[in-house]
Formats: sequence, C-alpha cells, structure tokens
Amino acid sequence: MRTTRGIFLWLAVGVPLLWGVTKTLQNALKLFQ
Amino acid sequence: MATSFLDRASTVAPPGYDRFLVPPAALAVHLSIGQAYAFSTFNLPLTRLIGLNHSAPDDWKLTEVGWIFSIAIVVLGLSAALFGRWVERAGPRKSMLAAAVCFAGGFIVSALGIKGHQLWLIYLGYGVLGGCGLGIGYISPVSTLIKWFPDRPGMATGMAIMGFGGGALIAAPLSLLLMEHFKTATSNGVLETFVTMGVIYFMFMMIGVYAVRVPAPDWKPAGWTPPVKPQRLVTEAHVAVDVAWRTRQFWFLWVVLCMNVTAGIGVIGQASPMIQEIFSGRVTPAAAAGFVGLLSLFNMGGRFIWAAISDYIGRRNTYVVFFGLGILLYSSVPALGHLGSISLFVAAFAVILSMYGGGFATIPAYLRDVFGTMHVGAIHGRLLTAWSVAGVLGPVLVNYIRQYQIDSGIPKAQAYSVTMYIMCILLLIGLICDLAMRPVDAKHHHRLPSTGP
Repeated sequence: MRTTRGIFLWLAVGVPLLWGVTKTLQNALKLFQ
Repeated sequence: MATSFLDRASTVAPPGYDRFLVPPAALAVHLSIGQAYAFSTFNLPLTRLIGLNHSAPDDWKLTEVGWIFSIAIVVLGLSAALFGRWVERAGPRKSMLAAAVCFAGGFIVSALGIKGHQLWLIYLGYGVLGGCGLGIGYISPVSTLIKWFPDRPGMATGMAIMGFGGGALIAAPLSLLLMEHFKTATSNGVLETFVTMGVIYFMFMMIGVYAVRVPAPDWKPAGWTPPVKPQRLVTEAHVAVDVAWRTRQFWFLWVVLCMNVTAGIGVIGQASPMIQEIFSGRVTPAAAAGFVGLLSLFNMGGRFIWAAISDYIGRRNTYVVFFGLGILLYSSVPALGHLGSISLFVAAFAVILSMYGGGFATIPAYLRDVFGTMHVGAIHGRLLTAWSVAGVLGPVLVNYIRQYQIDSGIPKAQAYSVTMYIMCILLLIGLICDLAMRPVDAKHHHRLPSTGP
C-alpha cells in the first residue's frame, strides 16, 4: 500500500518534470546545430 | 472536520512512515510555483491582446508588462518574511493550501484583468496574490524536510528547491502549448491559458497538501545517531526567529544569498541577447533560446547536486566554492568571448548557473546549521528578502552598465566585460561574509521554560 502510494507520488511529480526536461533539452540542442 | 485535516497534529506521521514519501509533496508545490521563472513566455502575448499578431496602440507596453514578474518576486520575499512564523505555527499542510489558493487565485484574478484589459488587476493578481503564493509555497516544506532528513538536510531541501528551478522547464512549453491550443481568430489564447493554468496548478499543489507529513517530535531516522564530535558551524541549539534576525550571522548570510543571486539573476535575464551580441553573427536567436534552456537545466541540477555535496563538505566550504569559482569564471568570460570559443563560454555560464541554483538550495541547510531547526522556516522566510533585493539589483546592474558602455561607444560584443568584473566584486563581498561566519553566541540560544525541580 505504502509502496503503491510512493510510486504514485514520485510518478506524479517525475513525469511532468521529465517532460519539461526533454522539451528543454530539445531546445538546447539547437545551440550546437 | 476540514479544519482538523489541515491541522499540524493531523499531519504527524505514524511510526514506520517512509520519509521518502515527503519530498514528492514538497516537489508538487515547488514545481508549481517555479512557473514564475517562465512568466516571460506571456510577456509578448500580453502586449498583443488587442492587435493579436502585433501590438496595437492601445495594447500594453513590454515595459509595463515586465513589472508583473518584478512585483511577484518582490512580494515573494516580503510574504515569505511576513508569513514565515505563521507557516511554522500552522504546519506544512495548511500553508501549502494557502499557497495553492493564492497562487491559483493569482492566475484567475489576472485572467479577469486580461478580460477587462486592466493591467492593475494583473499586478494585483499574479503580482501580489500570486507573489504571496510563491513566498508561502517556497518556505512551507523547508523545515518539514529538514526535520525528516537530519542526516542529509542539504540533499532534502535541495530536492525541493530543485523543483522551483524545474517548474520553469515544465511551465514554458506548457504555456506555449496551451496558448496555441486556445488561439482563435479573435483571441491569442492567453486568457484561457491563465484560467487553465490556475486550475492545473491548484490541483497539482493539492497532491502536496494531501501527501505532506511531519515527523513525530522524537523521531530519528532508523540507525542514525547525531554526530558525537560537533562540527564548528553546526549547532544542536535553537535560535528563535525574532532573535536570529538581530544576529550578525543572519545578516552575513543575507549578504551571501543576495550577492550570489544578484550575480546569477542578472545573467539569466540577459542570457539570450548577451550570447548573440558577444558572438555576433555566429549565434542565431533559436540557438540563443537553446542557451537559455541549457542554463535552466544547470540552474535546476545545481540545486540538488550542490546542496547534496554541502552535506559532505560543509555549507561554508560550499559557498567558498561558489564565490571562488564564480570569481574565476566571471573574470574569464571577457577572455572567452575574445577567443571566440562558444563551447567554453557556454560551459562557464553553465557552471555559474549551477552555482546560482546551488546557492538557493544550500541556504536552508546553512540556516539550520547556524540557528537550529526550531524556527528555520521562518528565518528562511526573512532571509528571502535578499532575493527581492537581488531581483531588482541584478538586472539593473547588467542592463544599465551594458547600456552605459554602448552609449560610450564600446562595441556590443565588449559591452559586458565591465559587468562581469562588477559581478566578481559582488562575489568577493559574498566570500568575505561567508568566511566571517562564526557560531551564534550561546546567549542567543532559545531556552525551554524551566519545569522546576
């Protein structure tokens, strides 16, 4: 139960953050193109 | 019923509670309020509410719109200072809810300002109300995390404050996506985007409100014992907030934070034009936007990495690295520009921005070391007024000195050199204050009321 809750909580904050980091990295790569 | 759910007593964790369930609660709040760093994505659209594709004569000017962010940052510092004691008393759940209501409410009030084309309503909404949400939200999980992670306070607060840096990485593409989605022939979609973001952020911050827990007063991590050999700048005593801010240690740390932030924040605001002007003709606007994105990533990563490192090398030494390495890097920027090395230039600023973020993330643990855990959240709140000052000082220094240089006939590519040397002086002042840190005199320590013989 506690593990499920932990996974849910970390996914809830991790997924949006990962999306934001990916988008920013895509943008940042333009610097080296 | 509702009140008891919000009370501090209701948030005390049961025995055996996994402390790693608490950082996501803090991150939910900080990832939301970190949106503030991406507010500039709204600047141009807000100047085209009437003209849509261009600024009509009745549209707001960019300089007027620019004040929204400035007000929000100033109010952030002031509200953190004003409400710090309340946050300590009310507990993290109630204060996170207050932050969510203010921050989301700021978007909704601003949306009304957009609908009626009343700029003052946006100043009041996002600037003042949203700014209160930023200030309360920023400090609400700090003392809770420090109490959960007495063995790694730097890492714990670094994780949360990393969220503030990461919030911009989410908000920038999200804002663009929403504006594109809501765009019609008669609207550029900003109004609808503000309402949607208000709702999304309120719900996201509720994850924090629901999940946050405080440890029981006598709780300690399993198998952990406080270090037997006390470290010189780490106290086991406590200093009350009203006493702390009268000590010279508080003001040394205030200057330390102010100087570190002033140096970094000036660069963030000017990063895009700076790289384009220094490497004129070699860096396109799109590549400059990439540079800004890269700096955001290092700003975010530095918050976690440097704060975690500070648990091993000590807070004072961490700031010695920030200021020492910062002086070295800032002073080498003019030479790197002259050499024409874009890679080295980018690398230098990436490290500088990591230390800018690291400065924010390490300061709560530094305060805990010096003043103890009793009122660390409230003391942190008062220290954040340094951020408000730096938020004005940094951009003003960079912008005005650059303009003065250009007006004096210096080529744009070299107009930043003097600014970099001034940044070095600021960092030197910070270094001196950091090195001057000594333990707080025992006469300032909080004494528990005597219970008698």
